[in-house]
This record gives sequence, C-alpha cells and structure tokens, in this order.
Amino acid sequence: MSSETPYTVLMDTLEAIGERDDTDLPSLERVRTPWESRMQATCECLSWRGALDTLERRQAEDLLGETVYRRFPVHTRSALAVAHALMNKGVFTESELRSKMAELRIRFGED
Amino acid sequence: MSTHSHDPHAPVQEPDGTDEFEILELAVRELAIEKGVFSAEDHRRFSEWAESRTPMYGSKLVAKAWLDPAFKERLLADGTEASKEVGVNWLDPTGTGTPSDYTYFYVLENTPQVHNVIVCTLCSCYPRPVLGMSPDWYRTPNYRRRMVRQPRQVLAEFGLFLPADVEIRVHDSNQKSRFMVMPMRPAGTEGWTEEQLAAIVTRDTMIGVALPQPGWTAAEAPPRSGVAHQSAEITGGGK
Amino acid sequence: MRRFKVGDRVVVRDETTLFHTRCQGYMRGRIGTVVEDRPAWVIPEDEAWGRDEDGRHEPFYVVRFKQTELWADYAGPDLDTLESEFSERWLEPAGEGEHSV
Repeated sequence: MSSETPYTVLMDTLEAIGERDDTDLPSLERVRTPWESRMQATCECLSWRGALDTLERRQAEDLLGETVYRRFPVHTRSALAVAHALMNKGVFTESELRSKMAELRIRFGED
Repeated sequence: MSTHSHDPHAPVQEPDGTDEFEILELAVRELAIEKGVFSAEDHRRFSEWAESRTPMYGSKLVAKAWLDPAFKERLLADGTEASKEVGVNWLDPTGTGTPSDYTYFYVLENTPQVHNVIVCTLCSCYPRPVLGMSPDWYRTPNYRRRMVRQPRQVLAEFGLFLPADVEIRVHDSNQKSRFMVMPMRPAGTEGWTEEQLAAIVTRDTMIGVALPQPGWTAAEAPPRSGVAHQSAEITGGGK
Repeated sequence: MRRFKVGDRVVVRDETTLFHTRCQGYMRGRIGTVVEDRPAWVIPEDEAWGRDEDGRHEPFYVVRFKQTELWADYAGPDLDTLESEFSERWLEPAGEGEHSV
C-alpha cells in the first residue's frame, strides 16, 4: 500500500479546495457542506451493496489522507479516498472520471 | 460573544473548492450508478434518513431518563430497544441499519465517580441514529489517537477540566456497539420539564467532551455552530 | 459456551494484523478485566466479506483496562480507564504471574 500514487484527476482539485491548514483539532465550527452529506450517503450505498466496505474505506481515508493526499483538508478525505479506491478496483477509470467531471462542469454551467 | 465568534451570515469558506468537490462527489456517484453498483434510489434513501437524524433524539433519551427512573433503567439495560420509545429504530433505513451504524446501542451513565467519553480509534464509529452526523473533529486522527492516550489533555482543549478523583473512562467503540454518554443532571434544573432538560443536553455532552449547564442550550447558539466554542468560553478554557 | 465471565482477567492476543480486524494495536498484549458480556455476533473478520448470514459467530466481551496498563507514560491519575469490545478469539486468560500495573 506504500506504493500508492495519487491520481492526477484528484490532485487537480487541490488548487480549488486549497491546502490543508488544520494541524490541531480542526475547525470546530465548520459547517458541513451539502456535498459532504451526499458523499456520506454514497459511502453507505457502496458498503451496503458490497462495492467498498465502510472499514476498508475508513482505512483508505486515513492511509491516503496522511500520505498521497495529505495536502488536502481533512473533510475532503472521503471523496478522495472513495474515488481513489474505486479507480484502484476498476469500477471506473481515471479517464472516465475526468470525462464525467468535464460533463458535469458543463451541466452545472448551463442555465 | 467574543471577537472570534463566527458571524452566522458570513459566507461559507472555500466556495470554489466546494464547487469542485460537488462535481467530484456527483461524478463518483453517477459513475457508480451507471456501472450498476447501487441505484439513485438507494442514495436518496440513505440521504433522507441521514438528514432526519439529529442530536435531538439523544437529548430526549437523556431528559426522559432524568425524569423517569423506570425509563432510565430500560435505557441502560437495552439502549437499542429503549430508543424505540422516542421513535428511533436502529434497524432503519434498510431493515438492518446502515453499514456504518451497527444496531447495538449502549448508554453510558456518568456518575460523580466516573466520567465517560466516546471515541473510535479505528475509523469514526458514532451513534448516528440518536446523535446525527458526527462533528468533523470527532473524525480527525488527532482526536481519535489522542483521546485514548491523553484523555485529560484533549478534554481540557474542549474546556472540560475534571478533578483527579473522577475516573475518566474512555470507550473505544471500534467493534459492534455504538455508545452515547448520559451526563449527570446538573443542579439548578429542579422542576424543569422534559423539553427544558433536553435543551441543555447538547451533542457534545453526549459524546462526553462537555457537561450540561442550566444556562446553556444548543438552541441559543447559532445553528450548527458555536456549541463547543461556547463551552470553552463558559469554563474559561479553549483550545 | 462462553469462555470468560465478568471479573475474569484477560490478555489481548498479539496477532499479526489480519486484513479486516477491528482489534487495535495499542491493546494487544495488554491485560484487562472483563466487565460485561455481549451477545454472540458475527466476527468482523467475516462480516467484512459480506458473510452476515454464514459468518462465524462468537461471544463478545467488554474489557476494561487501566490507562497505566496501556501506556507506560500515561500522564493522568491511576484510576483512569479505557474500555473496548473484543470477540472471544482475541482474548486469553491472563497468566498467574501477569499483573496489570
């Protein structure tokens, strides 16, 4: 597992979210954003349907969050770890994710 | 409020990154749905259930137990079953609970001799059906690693200082069960109704990083913020 | 049948980390006291593979440790404790000569 390397498609989001700056118990008053709640529901679905067990995901969050994605804020870990793990497992490829994100940017930019 | 309190109307920080992560979240979800891993309906059900959970259920359990010794006995004996009396079924929303909330629930009673506090060193197991989503800090490696080995220091960072003759009992909930702390009813609440009592049983008091106080209710704090912060101010501590 | 009862002193086995164990490293090899029984549940080593139905069921126990037993450099009072749950396979009777600090 020490040979994990970051996916470029995920590293590309760092500029937008900004570097992690919490070194102590972080931001007690942070308000959870809607995407984090939706991400949590995705995690439940993945575990419930057997694609990515909750414990395996949490271990991946810790491992990846402290290593290859350590520059990201803690609250982004589940999104990064889940995307990373699903690509590792071949559920979808990096290029599929990149295309989907491009498609969504266009969809979000409409209306 | 002190100068470093957050203005509730202040814009949420990191809006740009939030947009980008909104896209990432939806992209992962849509791809998983397209590949047949789960359905959009699955996702909607889990979201709806999660959003219906708040610490209000836990507060109600505690307030009810403070007022009704028979209920307290039932709650301490079988938390899963007693939860149903306030409308919480640990088997929701799937009939077997959710993958990250096991269906065995135990309530830990604080006494003058013992103060309980919960943590999960493994991941961040949390009694979501009764407390809602865990706070961010609960899921950080810092809290998880240090609460088990330096509980008094970590509690002090939350503004909670306990005498040396009170046993601090840390519960590492990394197995099957989920735990919640039943704090002691504070003096000055004599004659209060269940609703009044429930208002001072805030989330943090049920995790065990704070104590309920008659003058401090979550309802008076800004929505979804300020609770832990306020406790630090009251006790003169802080991180 | 259950191998341990409330009040028994037990030592946590120090096994190589299995892929899906929930037993934390800092408890391994430490001595504690069984303070509560839990029902027989599917052990996490099997549950992780989706074997909810046919997985191995085992009694679980709550074990209480003194913090000073867990951490040689524990800075707080001697009376502070920590509790966690274990499936039976992780526990052994604490030997005669073994005493928690």
